[in-house]
Amino acid sequence: MIHVFNYKKNHYIYDTGSASLHECDEKTAAYLNAVLAGEKPALSEDDVKQIRSDVETLEGEGLLNAPEPSAYPVKSNEVKALCIHICHDCNLRCRYCFADEGAYHSSREFMSEKTAKQAIDFLIKNSGNRKVLEADFFGGEPLMCLDTIKNVVAYAREQGEKYGKKFLFTTTTNGVLLNDDAADFFNREMENVVLSLDGRPEVHDAIRKTVNGKGSFDVCFKNIKKFVQSRGDKSYYVRGTFTAKNLDFSNDVMFLAESGFDSISMEPVVTDIPDLQIKKEHLPRICEEYEVLCEKYLDAYKNGRGFNFFHFNIDLEGGPCLSKRVSACGAGNEYFSVVPNGDIYPCHQFAGNRDFYMGNVYEGALDAGIRSRFASSCLFTREKCGGCFAKFICSGGCSANNYNFTGNIEQPYEITCAMMKKRIECAMHILAEKKKLAAGR
Amino acid sequence: MIKTIAKPSERKVTGCGECRSTCQSACKTSCTVGNQSCERITREERPDRESK
Repeated sequence: MIHVFNYKKNHYIYDTGSASLHECDEKTAAYLNAVLAGEKPALSEDDVKQIRSDVETLEGEGLLNAPEPSAYPVKSNEVKALCIHICHDCNLRCRYCFADEGAYHSSREFMSEKTAKQAIDFLIKNSGNRKVLEADFFGGEPLMCLDTIKNVVAYAREQGEKYGKKFLFTTTTNGVLLNDDAADFFNREMENVVLSLDGRPEVHDAIRKTVNGKGSFDVCFKNIKKFVQSRGDKSYYVRGTFTAKNLDFSNDVMFLAESGFDSISMEPVVTDIPDLQIKKEHLPRICEEYEVLCEKYLDAYKNGRGFNFFHFNIDLEGGPCLSKRVSACGAGNEYFSVVPNGDIYPCHQFAGNRDFYMGNVYEGALDAGIRSRFASSCLFTREKCGGCFAKFICSGGCSANNYNFTGNIEQPYEITCAMMKKRIECAMHILAEKKKLAAGR
Repeated sequence: MIKTIAKPSERKVTGCGECRSTCQSACKTSCTVGNQSCERITREERPDRESK
């Protein structure tokens, strides 16, 4: 399958089978679009002859109309990662919070150190031959339990040494309690830190409020800024959320970039709150905004102020292997979330949904039926994805996102798909522009 | 005129599982594998490149 698309005056061809990207002239794009539509190209015979020759050359090299992989991957049943909900409580009350402002539609509670250590034991015990294991501390707000996290990390290091496992830790935090002590600990122990900040002060404060109803921007920004300055070259993401209220979110991304953050992610909100929810009618505006962001991103790059925007990353040369592209995040099979009482769910977005309860870290066994359902779900079982050019890049979407919006982990949500495809096209244009700049064109 | 911008490098190893979980990378809502690099290639063949 090929996907022919325009980005402003540029014409691109993405070949799904070979995962290669090509740039072409307007006539070639017109020819290919006509062929795809089953129409006769409105071009001269000489033009058609030349274009066909170019196409055949690339086909001969396996870079155009290449056969697509269709083999089902053999999935491991080794557990590689846990999302540890160290607390179901939060010091903010963000309106759009998918986790019910930290409480996950249940009582506010903290995970005991004993349960967190049991989760580490569960991970090690079920990790088979895997050497590298991951645990991310999630909430609520994990920094409300910093002492527990410190003790659990020390325990995991000790157990890792004993069983030959290396742990990679991540924490997601809103930054309210991100003081020097927490920063020192994170810089020593966390492979990655995800820092929640929505961008412009007024945008952040409209949603991300303290328990007293005041905006949290000032304290979050100050702490996160100081932390990032201390982070050195270690990985972090400043992660924002955009809603229907700030469809001009490129201004928020640029606010963050101009504030000195060079690793940024900005995600569409996952909510059904009417005034915040992303709806179908917002899509044209959102797609336009991704192009605006793309231009701003490239301007910054060309002016030596480049930054990393998560959704514009695409690695066509050394990206994930086919196995990963087909099996996606691994939720419910090799990645699970553990809530404060030790209950296990396929991932953090299913936490508290009893239909997806899979067991408890104290019992050890996982619900075989649910696990099998997730293990057997992959790109090739998601029928709607079959005809989509983006399938080997998005892997059929996030199972939880699919479930939340369509009621089926296998059924992608059209709004998410539309945004995903636009971001991928922007990412491909950026890749092409960076290559041209590197070549001095 | 068609000019190739990028094509995948040949893979010696696939399915090794050494990469980080997709969901741990940044967003926890709409992460995709396409935003990631193969960490094995990054580590072994292109150490100059970041793997964020």
